[in-house]
Order: sequence, then C-alpha cells, then structure tokens
Amino acid sequence: MAIRELSSLEKYLGLKKPNMYTTQGDKKVPVLQSNNFSPLVGLVTVACHLVKEAKRPDLLGDGAEGRAVVQQWLEYRVTKLDDCSKEDIRTILKELNAYLEDKVYFAGHQITLADIFMYYGTHSLIVDMSIQEREQFVNVTRWFDHVQHVRGLRHHLSLVSVLRNRIYTSRHH
Amino acid sequence: MIKEEVQGATEEEQQQAQSKKALKKQQKEAEKAAKKAEKQAKQAADQQTTEEDDFAKDRYGVSAMLQSQQKLNRALVKVQDLTVEKADQLLWVRARVHTSRAKGKQCFLVLRQQQFNVQALVAVGDRASKQMVKFAANITKESIVDVEAVVRRVEQKIESCSQQDVELHIERIFVISQAEPRLPLQLDDAVRPDGEGEEEGRATVNQDTRLDNRVIDLRTTTSQAVFRLQSGVCQLFRDTLTKKGFVEIQTPKIISAASEGGANVFTVSYFKTSAYLAQSPQLYKQMCICADFDKVFCVGPVFRAEDSNTHRHLTEFVGLDIEMAFNYHYHEVIESITDTMVQIFKGLRDNFQTEIQTVNKQFPSEPFKFLEPTLRLEFQEAVAMLREAGVEMGDEEDLSTPNEKLLGRLVKEKYDTDFYVLDKYPLAVRPFYTMPDPNNPKYSNSYDMFMRGEEILSGAQRIHDAELLTERAKHHQIDLEKIKAYIDSFRYGAPPHGGGGIGLERVCMLYLGLHNVRQTSMFPRDPKRLTP
Repeated sequence: MAIRELSSLEKYLGLKKPNMYTTQGDKKVPVLQSNNFSPLVGLVTVACHLVKEAKRPDLLGDGAEGRAVVQQWLEYRVTKLDDCSKEDIRTILKELNAYLEDKVYFAGHQITLADIFMYYGTHSLIVDMSIQEREQFVNVTRWFDHVQHVRGLRHHLSLVSVLRNRIYTSRHH
Repeated sequence: MIKEEVQGATEEEQQQAQSKKALKKQQKEAEKAAKKAEKQAKQAADQQTTEEDDFAKDRYGVSAMLQSQQKLNRALVKVQDLTVEKADQLLWVRARVHTSRAKGKQCFLVLRQQQFNVQALVAVGDRASKQMVKFAANITKESIVDVEAVVRRVEQKIESCSQQDVELHIERIFVISQAEPRLPLQLDDAVRPDGEGEEEGRATVNQDTRLDNRVIDLRTTTSQAVFRLQSGVCQLFRDTLTKKGFVEIQTPKIISAASEGGANVFTVSYFKTSAYLAQSPQLYKQMCICADFDKVFCVGPVFRAEDSNTHRHLTEFVGLDIEMAFNYHYHEVIESITDTMVQIFKGLRDNFQTEIQTVNKQFPSEPFKFLEPTLRLEFQEAVAMLREAGVEMGDEEDLSTPNEKLLGRLVKEKYDTDFYVLDKYPLAVRPFYTMPDPNNPKYSNSYDMFMRGEEILSGAQRIHDAELLTERAKHHQIDLEKIKAYIDSFRYGAPPHGGGGIGLERVCMLYLGLHNVRQTSMFPRDPKRLTP
C-alpha cells in the first residue's frame, strides 16, 4: 500500500526515474535503497526526500509554522489514521470534520504533502461511507473531493462520486 | 465429647436467648397491634364524627355501579366545548382524572377527555368541605368522574391544558369508575418526546411496554390523534373513490390458493382440508372487473406470513385496494390512484391540522410535500439518478430498501416532493400477472408509489388475456391447476384493467413521519406479537 502511494507521489512530482522500494517488518514499512546514501526508512521520511529531489519545498509547508503543521498531519496519518480500529473511525472523522470546517487544505492556502497523504490514507474510509455519512462529515467530503480532483494525484485510487447538494436536511429517518 | 457438650450448652443458651428475644418481640408486636387498633378505633370514631359534621357529604362519593337504574335528564358537556363562551355556567362534565394535586385547602385536578383536558379545582368553602377536598385528592389517576362545576375565566392562560382560558370550580364530584392505584405506565411518560426525557432524567416508555398495555397507551394525546387521522384516511379514500364512480366490494379472506406466490401465506385448517389467509384481494377484484363492475375498491385485512421483524412489516394490516378497467393506456389508472392519494393528502392537510400538530409535538417531522400532478419517474431514470450518486446496480435489478430510501432523498432534493410514482419496473421482478411493456419486453407496465422514500403501493396493468396469462404463469413455474379458476375468468371477454394496493398503516406512518408501523396499528400483529 505504502509503496503504491510513494510511486503515485513520484508521478505527481514528475520524477522521471522510478525508485525501487522494499519493505521491512510486519507493518511493511517502506524502505528506499540508494547508491548515494544510506537506506531511507518510513513513509514520511521517503516522501520528504522525494519532495526535495523534485525541488518542490512548497509541499512541505510555508514558514516555520506551516512546516510544523505539515509534519504534524503527516505524523497523524502514520500514527493515528493507519492504526485506527473500526470503532475509532467515527471519532477520527469527527475530529477531521471539525478541523477542516474553515480550511481548504490541511496547512495554509495551498496543497501540501499533508493533504496528499491524508487523501491516500482516508480513501478507503470514504469509499465505504454511505451517502448519508458523507453528508454528515461534509467538510471532510468537500476537502476529499477537492483533493481527488487535483491534477495528477489520484493515480492508483478510484474516483469517489460526491453529491454537490445536501439531501439529508430534514430530521426524519 | 467435651467439645460437643460445650457446644450443646452454648446452643441451649443461644436458644434461650433467642426465645427471650422472641418473647420480647412478641410483646412489642402485641403492644403495637393494640396501639394500632386503638388508633383505628379513634380514627373510625373521628371519621364518624367528621362525617356527621360534613355538610357536603351529599356532594361527593363513589357512585353505585351504573346499571342503567335511571335515565337522568342531565346534559354532559364535552371538555373541548369548555371555552370562555361557557363562562359562569353551572354544568356537568364526565372525564378522567389525569392528575390531581392537593395543596392545603385546595385540590387541583386535570380532567381529561380524549385529547382535551381542563384544569379543575375543589376548594374548601361554602360548597365544599375539608373532607370533600381530601376525597378529591385521593381519587386515583385515570378514574372516571362526573363533576358539576362552574366554568370560570382565568386571568393567566393554563399552558398545560388544551382548554387554556377557563377552569372548572367543582361543586359536586362522583366517581363513576375507579381505576386501580398502580398504572402499568404513566401517560405523561408515554407522550414525552424522545430526547427530552433524558435531559431531565425523566422516564420514557419503550414501545413494547406501550403495546403490552395498549388500552392505556391509546389514551395518550398522540395515539388519539394518530388514530383519528387514520380514520380520516379511510374516510377520504372512500369519499374520493365513490365520487369517481367506484363501487366498494367485500372479498373473502379465506381462500383456496395463494395469490402471490406460495411462500408467505398463513395456512388455516378448513374442515377436512386446508385454506389460506388472503395476501391481497387481487384475484377477487380482478374477477369483479371481469364481471362488469368497471371500478372497484376494497378496504379490509390483508395477511402476510413473512417472518420479518422490521419497522415497516406487520403480519396483518389493512389494505386499501383499487382495481379499474381503463380505455387505452394504464396511465389512466396511475392518474386515478395518484389523484386519490393527493385528495387524501389535501384532506388531511386541511381537516386534520390539530391531529398532525399533536403528533408532531412528540415526533417532530417536516410537513408532507406533494406535487400536482404527481411526479412520475421511469425506473431507468431512477437507476440513472442512483448511479450518478455513486450507487452500483444492474439495469434489471430490483431496488433494495436502502436504495429506495436514497432515491427518495434524491427525488426530494431535485423535485421537492415526498410522494412520487416509479413506473416501468423490470418484468423479471414483478408477479406473473403483470403486463409486459410493448416497447421493451424486459420492462413491464407496473409501478410503485413512494412516500418519504418508502414504498406504499405496488400496482400494474394486469394481463387480461388468458393465453398470455397462461404463458407467463408457466414462465414463473406456477401450477396451472391451482389457478385455473383465475385464468378461466378471462376467457369470456375481459376488459383491460389495472390497479394497486396500499397499506393503510404505512400511509399514516409515512404521512406523519413516524418511525415504526406499530405506532399506526391499533393492535399490531407481527411474528412476535399476538396480544393484546
């Protein structure tokens, strides 16, 4: 899974030569072997490396504060989102929905690595949600729909159809 | 040995001690009893003296059982008629004691009659004695009383009662029927809206308790309103169809063969053979069409032996069935049915606003919306709408319940209506007597009607040609012998016809935006409930 995400990221970044990855341990942590330096371990580490290689420092956030926020959400992705149990999903969605209420992207006014990996990480959750649930977590759904349409980002993932109108406005049922 | 002896001794001692204790206890109890007796005697004496003193003793009491001893020429005024127009009049009312609250020399009662209630007051004065107030305060909840009282205008509106502008000053009060002091459920708990009880830490009554004690539950304002509205639905249904030239028919419910597939019918023993309970009056209303009745309808019980415990299934419900001959196109039938439904919705909206509001207080919902003429969608359009919303389904697949509900939402959003017709169902998912679509044999001239995204009516143009009917029955692998009489009725000239059947309980439930069909069935029957 992580490897596919990294190769999707490579394509999005426009890196010409695809890297080869291996995995390590039960959790299949991705590892990038390279001739020029010692192996890089972990999704976030490798991703940050790729971003630097593609000379897209903007994806790591604007200013010290922005960079910290991006790092914070990348960590959220690999610690909270990837390890969440079925019972936690609603709590997480509620949390994200509240956070995204007044935001277009996770950090600042432009897309960052945080959006990309949160998108990859939430895709399976969003696919499984009913239309009513998608409407309940409307801010998450709006952000998700926005990111999935960013040019060149989707690659290995299916397009989720999202209704533009609210259909569960009244109370009954 | 020694040990045992010692033990024996202690036991004896213990016994002695115990018997001493018991003796003391007995003595005490005897004293107590004596005291009690004394007290009782005193009380009785008191009562006697007070009874003698009581100047108002003819003005209250428990009446002898009413066995039609005499025909009193006394007018009983209805609680709902107690308005300011009746102010200062002395009149008689028969009602239930909803609540009573004694406060010193006064006793406040709330008297209830059906969904109306009024505040009443017994106060010590020249009309009522202390004993009378005490008596009034001790009347058990839900007892039926006759009161003679003066209607008085009140300065401040009584918010908790339906008659807010007046109260009754009781001069006489007689208990006609006494209720047992312990009620299986409290009426106030049974009408409390869902969320509200939790906040205040008050009780709500769950549905099974309500249904187990249905007689009491039916007294609540909500139940009263629901079933008055239900009666209205039947009335409007009859009136509208009669005006359209329909004839009401009565059909047998004990039948010899299952009408719609054999799986979900109740079998009853019928002398030396067995019979079935009718799943719908389908066959009979069609036979009436063949017998030149032209347009018929039928209101009566319908039985389904489906073992499904859902919010919208009952094993016995009231079916409102329509069947009519048409001239050239079955849409004439659809128009006739939808117009009937619209007349019902309009009638409810115009004449049952009080009932709707009453139910809404406990179960809030949005007002029911409909269009005129009624929206008609074709099945393929519906599938396209669902696909657009991300639902994956096949062209000839039937709608699942979640998809039905979702479609209802999509339709409401797009057309702003809670009522619509879905036309041209795939032939494969309909019964054998459904007429195929002449333009596309995969589809059929059949339709469902939906209220708030749930199906209330299933109908179709029926096959009126014996040959085609035989062919379709064979296709569905139905034993031709068993339905011979049915097929034969089309051999001697049968007009083209169509119809449909509506579930009364579902219509009421969905019109009011309720969540469970048992709320709109007076004595519901489901796989787990046969009583009351």
